[in-house]
Amino acid sequence: MSVDTQAIANGLRQRDPELLDLLIEQFQHRLFRYLVFLTGDQALSEDLFQETWIRVMERGHQYNAKSKFESWLFAIARNLVIDVSRRKKMRSLEELADPESNQPFEPPDLQGVSALQMLVARENEQAIQLSLLKIPAYYREVLLLRFHEELGLEEIAAVLATPISTVKSRLYRGLTALKNALPESAPRGAA
Amino acid sequence: MSDNLHTRAQQLLAQSLIEGITAADDAWLRKHLEDCQECREHAAATNNLLRALRAVPIEVPRDLAARTQMRVRLRAQETAGASRSGLVLWSLTAMSWLLGVMSAPLVWRAFAWVGEEFRVPKLALEMGFVLWWTIPALFAVAAVLHQRGVASNAKRF
Repeated sequence: MSVDTQAIANGLRQRDPELLDLLIEQFQHRLFRYLVFLTGDQALSEDLFQETWIRVMERGHQYNAKSKFESWLFAIARNLVIDVSRRKKMRSLEELADPESNQPFEPPDLQGVSALQMLVARENEQAIQLSLLKIPAYYREVLLLRFHEELGLEEIAAVLATPISTVKSRLYRGLTALKNALPESAPRGAA
Repeated sequence: MSDNLHTRAQQLLAQSLIEGITAADDAWLRKHLEDCQECREHAAATNNLLRALRAVPIEVPRDLAARTQMRVRLRAQETAGASRSGLVLWSLTAMSWLLGVMSAPLVWRAFAWVGEEFRVPKLALEMGFVLWWTIPALFAVAAVLHQRGVASNAKRF
């Protein structure tokens, strides 16, 4: 059962436990997938998943129903990922906060992302999915939000707290990066 | 067919996925894809790429939602408890401040009487009067800071 945004805003303002339970059930797959895409770490994603919902409960009064609930939810999760990456000095994730300040990206060593590797390694589309691990988290993030979550450009901009032009630029570059990260044997797409 | 046409087709293909294209561009792209096998393969490969992206199998641990629901409820109860005790603390502080203001003339007279009876220097009397006012407020501030410290420790994970 889905709940409309105004009902969500009203319920969150009252810290309605039934509503929170329902939202956790309803958005668990999308939120967890987003966190795993960002962090590449299942255990960390579980912690962040719980912490995200605690923040939703504590700051529910700030949700004004003008945007989709999932955009607000992803923005909270993203800020938590950035906070944690700063605390734990996870450089690859800290770049989420300011990716434009980076040097040109270098594909990370696949050994270092074994958790996500295990999650995405499946038979037929394995090559393409593994190539996701080779591109920076801030490209993975926009690709997920656009092509998996099917959020609009404005909604992605709200999640990332960046201008739409930046979102577009990351999407174009992300598609190119994904194409370039594919192994020679895999089919390559336009980007 | 010139390279420019292929480049344009591939740019439009990416643009159609990311921000959409005009009807005229869409018609041009469709026509080009009908005539150009290379770009058609490119388009198919891009679709495969996005299909694979959508198919990334990430499963939520079976009990994660239940654990989260329980943790959120517990935190909600803790926060509600802290909020109630905070309200009590602020109410008591406000009441003590009000009583302090109302009783100030009486207290000042009492201090003056003690000063005359025991010949206490005026400076000591004034300092005593100031302390009479500030010490309860300092206790209240310390209690609030302590409560906030406890709350922020509980939030850490």
